[in-house]
Amino acid sequence: MGNNNLTEWVNKYTDDMYSWAFFKVSDSELAKDLVQDTFLAAAEKISSFKGKSSPKTWLFSILNFKIIDHYRAKVKKPYNTDNDSISTFFDENGEWRHDKRPQDWHENNTNLMDDEDFQLVLKKCLDLLPSNWNTCVKLKYLLGKSGAEICEQMEISKNNYWQMIHRAKLSLRECIESKWNRD
Amino acid sequence: MKKIMKKIMLSCDKATELIEKKIHFKLSLKEKVQLAMHLAFCKPCSNYKKQSYIIEKTVPNIKFKEIPKEDLKPLKEEIIKKIS
Repeated sequence: MGNNNLTEWVNKYTDDMYSWAFFKVSDSELAKDLVQDTFLAAAEKISSFKGKSSPKTWLFSILNFKIIDHYRAKVKKPYNTDNDSISTFFDENGEWRHDKRPQDWHENNTNLMDDEDFQLVLKKCLDLLPSNWNTCVKLKYLLGKSGAEICEQMEISKNNYWQMIHRAKLSLRECIESKWNRD
Repeated sequence: MKKIMKKIMLSCDKATELIEKKIHFKLSLKEKVQLAMHLAFCKPCSNYKKQSYIIEKTVPNIKFKEIPKEDLKPLKEEIIKKIS
């Protein structure tokens, strides 16, 4: 295995890798950087590639590491740990504030998941989340792994992780309820 | 009676937190029982639970952004230059 193969792979797989990276980070320049970093890393450890997996699988596994690294750096940035956001939803006894109580959506679950309008509202609401929560929620689907595994990879505590998800869900749920037109 | 129940039962804050914990991790037996009891009496938290699952299942269906059609030739050339 040498750089000749690698050159061939650049021509062959860059488009797919770029699409994948863009899908995960929603940023064109960043996606390009990640693809480039992936090939630079691949060039360094080309000797460890034994051809057990296909080159494409190997390159994508490096790319996924690069993407996770990107999100890990983002989540490590300090974030506000005060309970302000929780207290907007619950009173001092931990009970729902009257105007924050989840209403019945009167919808069949399966219908909603495939409803394009609903997906659009959810997407809008996701974008409105503070970036840490947004990252956390995206990560979950990016990695497609269990909470425990995500925590391990992200080096954050379990408490930290599900509290972030809890807050994100509270905001998301409310956002959907206020924006989604059910008629 | 209501006050005693409140002592034994979870607050809505805690209950919704456990709903999230349940999705991502496992609950202890005690937590399972507490949550089931709370949900039996609390309509808003039951709504929350249903909606949390809906959100959970819908997020993977979202198309986050259209992938722009881009000419990646310059990128390929740059990478090849760097690795040769």
